[in-house]
Amino acid sequence: MTAPQPSRAKFIRSAIQTGLKPLAERWGSFSRTRFGSVIARAFSTNAAWIFLLLIVLMFIFNFLAPGKFLTEFNVRSMAENVAVLLVIAVGETFVMATGGIDLSVGYVLLFSGVTSAQTMNWGGRDPTNSGWDVVLLGFVVAIGSGLAWGVLNGLIVAKAKVPALIATLGTLGMSWGLAEILSNGQDLRYLPTIIADMGASRVIFDKVPLVVVVAVTVAAMGAVILSLTKFGRYTVAIGSNQEAARRAGINVDRHLILVYAMSGTLAGLAGFMSLAIFTTTTISGHANDNLQAIAAVVIGGTSLMGGVATVAGTTIGVCIPMVLFSGFTILGYQSFWRDVAVGAVLILAVYTDQLRRRRRERR
Amino acid sequence: MRIRTVTMLGLALITVGACSASATQSPTNAPVVSKAPVTAVPSAPAKAYNLTLIQGVAGDPFYVTMACGAQAEATKEGVNLTVTGGNKWDATVQKPVIDSVTAAHPDGVMVAPDDSKALLAPLKAMSDAGIKVTFVDTKLDDTSFAVSSIATDNLAGGTLAAKTLAGLINDKGTVLVVNVDPGISTTDARVKGFTDEMKNHPNITVLDVQYTHDDPTAATTITTATLAAHPDLAGVFATNVQNAEGVATGLKQASNTTVKTIAFDAGPKQIEDLNAGIVQGLIAQDPYGIGVDGVQQTVLALKGGTTTPTIQTQLAAITKDNVNDPAMQKYLYKASCS
Repeated sequence: MTAPQPSRAKFIRSAIQTGLKPLAERWGSFSRTRFGSVIARAFSTNAAWIFLLLIVLMFIFNFLAPGKFLTEFNVRSMAENVAVLLVIAVGETFVMATGGIDLSVGYVLLFSGVTSAQTMNWGGRDPTNSGWDVVLLGFVVAIGSGLAWGVLNGLIVAKAKVPALIATLGTLGMSWGLAEILSNGQDLRYLPTIIADMGASRVIFDKVPLVVVVAVTVAAMGAVILSLTKFGRYTVAIGSNQEAARRAGINVDRHLILVYAMSGTLAGLAGFMSLAIFTTTTISGHANDNLQAIAAVVIGGTSLMGGVATVAGTTIGVCIPMVLFSGFTILGYQSFWRDVAVGAVLILAVYTDQLRRRRRERR
Repeated sequence: MRIRTVTMLGLALITVGACSASATQSPTNAPVVSKAPVTAVPSAPAKAYNLTLIQGVAGDPFYVTMACGAQAEATKEGVNLTVTGGNKWDATVQKPVIDSVTAAHPDGVMVAPDDSKALLAPLKAMSDAGIKVTFVDTKLDDTSFAVSSIATDNLAGGTLAAKTLAGLINDKGTVLVVNVDPGISTTDARVKGFTDEMKNHPNITVLDVQYTHDDPTAATTITTATLAAHPDLAGVFATNVQNAEGVATGLKQASNTTVKTIAFDAGPKQIEDLNAGIVQGLIAQDPYGIGVDGVQQTVLALKGGTTTPTIQTQLAAITKDNVNDPAMQKYLYKASCS
């Protein structure tokens, strides 16, 4: 009874192989053409695969909820709701490209929002009708606060040689605690109307929220810096092999400080954007921003070990959880299923990336 | 030939109509439909409204009970109800939920906003999209576009808590207030009612309000730390379920049995704690009633009726002595419906 089993399996396997052989051959010759090689190269990166996943997910949700999911309103809402996260995820991409990690981004974001709001409320005055000068000052304070935490992270990692996981876990607690102390645990609820108007304003034919334009600009600049400049090449080189980078003459310590400073500064910008969107400091929020940013970066194909990173991948990696979140909510699924789906996608993304890498290495 | 096509089409239409009717009508309404005379031209069934309840936080017994009330009323009125919410009390988590519900475009939404200011823009957009918005439990500073705001009279609840606690500690000693986060209209009002009433009790000292971010572990830490700093601690007032659970754990850890605790809300765990003597008094709201009223007001608005702008629901002080009274049962929160 057991005898036919292996031969049947062998038969099926050979049938599949002979069936697939012409396909593989055709793909082989196609990938040697110029257009084909571009496609083939694109699909050797994780970014292309997860972009495909994003498109497939959007089509599935639009099929299940026709006229509700892919509407102008929902696409705009989803873009607006990932804008803040995208900005900190771009900074996180650079940090993770060096083989580090920045856990502090969420609370540096919160801290920057609090100091910015407090500056604008200086002396207990009502800033509702304040002018651009006050708003600009608040903006500079937000950026400056983020920069300061970033530089501190960089110094602790590069000079004190404390592992990034611990260094930024420490500054996570410090920035949160200080934000609470400064605000006395109270949300600052009065901000200049100019900021609220900025958060609500739309540009480009009155369709795209300003915060989305800011986030996309940050991502585009990040992509250019990472893939086309010396700064980007150094970042990846350090993540690939820190000692080799040092011997090649790269000032590794200085570069690491710059990368963490960049991540902090972007968290400061994100803090100001959050003020604009919510018109309050949202002190009870942002607890999971760091993990969401890291998940987005990893889904986007950046290696946890450093040395491999794309900002395009991160951008898609930020969008996938939001598409799942929105899709599941529109379909009326119980809220906790969203977290299950996002978790599964995270593991799936890393698993397929590993599979492809292993196959490439075997070749 | 043509007649046959028409008959077939008609038959098909009736079948489709019947199918969609049975799909959209709730079971209680089904008999009403079948009572209609068979010979009558099948008129389009009355539109079954789609409503969504956005909870302040999913999985909390208070909001579970509210959803039970809303579902019961929805079934009674023959409307469809979807329940959703963020998994954390956090305006930044709730905003995408609100936006997605707006995209799904139900006819009406009952929502418990997690912040009285931060969620104005998304909820205004929801209302502008033509969806009827009713606030349940919490509300925004701006309620101008809402059908109705239904909530517990939290100020009165705070006063009731202060009076009950003062009675339990013989009107003297130090008391601690454990609150969630600033800026939540309901819990802020409870604390105000509590501290205002305590001004009438000169021998009671109220310590600075402590905030836990709705995290029971933080409430536990605060309780044990306060016990260490103030050995004369006589009473604790916890402003919601999560805090009450944390305070109870803190007192258990310190094996303290002299501190009297009064907690807002009456979830299954609190009733257990009350019976075990860990908590001495519970100020119970009526989330089931809030859910019922929420659906009623929203449906009323959809049908073009006159709604009540503000509804304040009843509270009850539950102690070990009255917890088994039949009149108190409707105030006890459920972990699941039925």
